[in-house]
Amino acid sequence: MSKHHLGEFEEIVMLTVAILADEAYGVAIIDEMESRLNRKVSIGALQTVLRRLEKKGYLSSQFGEATNMRGGKRKRYFSLTTYGKNVLTEVKEQRLSLWEAIPNFSLNK
Amino acid sequence: MNPSDILTPPHWPSRFLRWYCHPDYLEDIEGDLIERFETDLAIKGPKVARWNYTKDVFRLFRPGIIRPLSGNNQLNHYGMFKNYIKVGVRNILRQKAFSVINIAGLAIGIACCLLILLYVNDELSYDRYNKNFDRIYRILHTYRSAENPGSLPPPSPEDFQVWGSAPVGPALQADFPEIESYFRFTSPSQLLFQYGSKRFQEDNMVFADSTAFQIFSWNLISGNPKTALKEPNSIVLTLSTAMKYFGYDDPMGKTITIDQTETFVVTGVMGDVPSNTHFTFDGLISMTTFHNWRPEIFDSWGYVDFYTYFLLKENSRIESLEGKIPDFIEHNGPDWYKTDNTIAFEPLSSAYLHSKASRQPGTTGSYTNIYIFSFIAGFILLIACINFMNLSTARSMERAKEIGVRKAIGAQRHSLIVQFLLESIMLTMLAALLALILVAFVLPFTRELSGKALYFSDLLSWPFIALFTGSVIFVGLIAGSYPAWVLARFKSSQVLKGRLKSSSGGISLRKALVVFQFALSMSLIVGTAVVFSQLKHLHTLDMGFTKDQMLVIDFGWDSKVQEQIASIKTELGKHPKVSMVSTSRAVPGAFLPDAGTRIESASGEMTMHNPGIYEIDQDFIPTYEIELIAGRAFSDDFPSDTTQALLINEAAAKLYGYTNAEDVIGKKFTQWGREGTVVGVVKDFNYKSLHSKVEPLSIRYAPTGALRRFSLKVAPEGMVTTLADLEQLWSQLVPHRPFIYSFLDDSFNRQYDADIRFGQIFTVFSSLAILIACLGLFGLTTYTTALKTKEIGIRKVLGASLFSIVTLLSKDYIKLFLIAVLIGIPVSWFAMNSWLDNFAYKMEIGPGVFIVAASICLLIALSTISWQSVHSALRNPVDSLKDE
Repeated sequence: MSKHHLGEFEEIVMLTVAILADEAYGVAIIDEMESRLNRKVSIGALQTVLRRLEKKGYLSSQFGEATNMRGGKRKRYFSLTTYGKNVLTEVKEQRLSLWEAIPNFSLNK
Repeated sequence: MNPSDILTPPHWPSRFLRWYCHPDYLEDIEGDLIERFETDLAIKGPKVARWNYTKDVFRLFRPGIIRPLSGNNQLNHYGMFKNYIKVGVRNILRQKAFSVINIAGLAIGIACCLLILLYVNDELSYDRYNKNFDRIYRILHTYRSAENPGSLPPPSPEDFQVWGSAPVGPALQADFPEIESYFRFTSPSQLLFQYGSKRFQEDNMVFADSTAFQIFSWNLISGNPKTALKEPNSIVLTLSTAMKYFGYDDPMGKTITIDQTETFVVTGVMGDVPSNTHFTFDGLISMTTFHNWRPEIFDSWGYVDFYTYFLLKENSRIESLEGKIPDFIEHNGPDWYKTDNTIAFEPLSSAYLHSKASRQPGTTGSYTNIYIFSFIAGFILLIACINFMNLSTARSMERAKEIGVRKAIGAQRHSLIVQFLLESIMLTMLAALLALILVAFVLPFTRELSGKALYFSDLLSWPFIALFTGSVIFVGLIAGSYPAWVLARFKSSQVLKGRLKSSSGGISLRKALVVFQFALSMSLIVGTAVVFSQLKHLHTLDMGFTKDQMLVIDFGWDSKVQEQIASIKTELGKHPKVSMVSTSRAVPGAFLPDAGTRIESASGEMTMHNPGIYEIDQDFIPTYEIELIAGRAFSDDFPSDTTQALLINEAAAKLYGYTNAEDVIGKKFTQWGREGTVVGVVKDFNYKSLHSKVEPLSIRYAPTGALRRFSLKVAPEGMVTTLADLEQLWSQLVPHRPFIYSFLDDSFNRQYDADIRFGQIFTVFSSLAILIACLGLFGLTTYTTALKTKEIGIRKVLGASLFSIVTLLSKDYIKLFLIAVLIGIPVSWFAMNSWLDNFAYKMEIGPGVFIVAASICLLIALSTISWQSVHSALRNPVDSLKDE
């Protein structure tokens, strides 16, 4: 598992892409993260992570249609690959197993 | 700003983004940015929107977004260059033997050039550390005798000497406001230094004016630069001398006893004189001390013992001073002027390498050697480049298919040329890297060879790195130019059809290059042989005196020794192994002064000349076995000899106009306050080095106070015990002075150290040049033999002998070699004859040298060739024939 290491920010980005399903492009991801997590994200930080995840094979992307908005530039929609989904699931299960291993009293204190 | 512009994203950040952003990502990222901008514009207004946009663009400038350096859809040749490099590397790796030959040859060539560069750089750096380098001049003097002033032709540069009189400096400063200050120092004095129990003879202490630190940028570690040399009996020591006496104690203010009578106070410690200074000393004694000792010489224009340097004021021109010299001489030294003496100025920049004047305060460099070594280094590099050219063109067939394919798919000639040049530059770079490593390893050993300390760190300066990179690329271009041109000329149709079977390209040039290499190697061998035979020739030359088994004891004019010189001499002579003892001021090879001497000419007038002067006792001539050709030597039988007799040598007799030595006997002379008659003429003996002819010499009986050395003729057997005995005896006779001795032949031969060093450097470089040439020849024969594998196989099957095959493979090269010898002989003869002109006594270059050099060369070449040819001739023909 350790070879599929996911950073905290990477994990959040992947989750957000999953939430947005077919609407996951740059600005939408940022907006979603800002509204859900109350967290400021710069385009630079997000784009770097998106490209990195794509290179690792966790995400895939394709261009949408060109519109009049955005200076006529196309959007790039990101989606999780199967491999990405597996990795995300694994991360989740690891967390859960850790949570379950906590003895009750230590959280109730 | 246009109002509509406000509603669009700012222009410059967008352009910046488009410049750096990865082209694959640009569209959607820019879209995102514009979307953000539009939202911001609606909610927060144009100002904030534009600011956020700019901020975002800059925050996007990070790895992962920035385009890779080797962009792939740009209009440039990155991709092609990458391919060239890849193919180049593969070629280097595939042809390991050839690559090793090429790279090793080039690396050695470059390393030689680097070493020479370091050496030359050091030679050229002399005295440049002085802040006032451009403003320091020194005074040259010429001492000539003329009946009427101005009757002699103007002096040539060789007529001048650096050594001069004391009053010139102060007089110049008084007359010329352009001179800021002057600095004089004396020739080194030999003084016995004592501090506590430490006692050494110091041979390199000079008396110096207090302006030393004002003019020269020597590093005074402690002491006041203005006052350190002001007071009498003060001394500034160099660091290593100070360490010798005081260790880690502070020497400042301590007193040193000199010659057992005078006490000196250490008023300063300076860093050792930098090695790139044209003169050196171990300590400076204040000039005022010398003034107190001998005040009269400071007004005497005729007493010569000073080197005078001066500092010109800024914005003054030396030319304006030079024009006023005659006036200055006439006005200051009228008597002096009448004898046609004069002075000249020499800039500090000329002192080390360019000065032709005699009596230099230190060793001088040789511009000729710089040229010779630079040439040799250049030749070595050239030979290595030729190897590269030869091997690449010879092996061009192996690249022919590649070139054919490249041309077929659209490569142009110039791009092929670029490819091959790039390959050769790559190879040169590798060689350069190796050369740097080589130099770093070899440098510590070059100290012996070059006689100076060279440091690798000298190579680490920006100008040097730029020069180095530039030269490496240049060498790569030179070496690669011809092969690139040949290779790019192939016609793809022919190559691909397989019509081009053998590489006819550049065979004649290749031959010419091989001839050139061997002519060069041959000349270098001749050079080495000549240098060493000449040195041997000097050794075996009859010097006119005996220098073997001559033990010289130096007591440095010690007054106590001189007082009891007769008894010490007798005691030393009593040792059974000592057959003769004599005392004198100078011995052959050591320094001697000149003396103005008048001798009666045949017509009865007194003629004035400046021969050298030897001051000796009556035993000197028999001890050194110097031959007399007329008259007699000094003798106890003539008591007047001690004050009224003079011996001269043949050269001096000729100088005074006597071709027949007998005629000068009995003529009157005056010299240094002594009058009398010439009693004898000695055969010319070589009292200086054999670089110069024997110069006129006068020999007189030494007055008290003028003696400095004992010469002992010692039997060769049991030298060690003899030395121990003598030292024991010396410590009884002269307890206060160390026993300082040398063997005359050692110290005499030391004069040829520079020549021997020259010979050694020459040998090393010649060997390297020949080694590289052989590497190239080896590569070339390997290749040509490989081409003939089948032919050899068939010949063997048909019954050819080993010998006939080896002959077949070698005869082409032997022809080339003979041509090389024919070219090499006249070239080397001419070059070495001009080198021999440095010597007054030169050997004859006979045919023997050339025969030996040619045979060595042929032997090396043949063994290189036969290595391959014998190997392939011995192979079983089945191996070479079965694969078809």
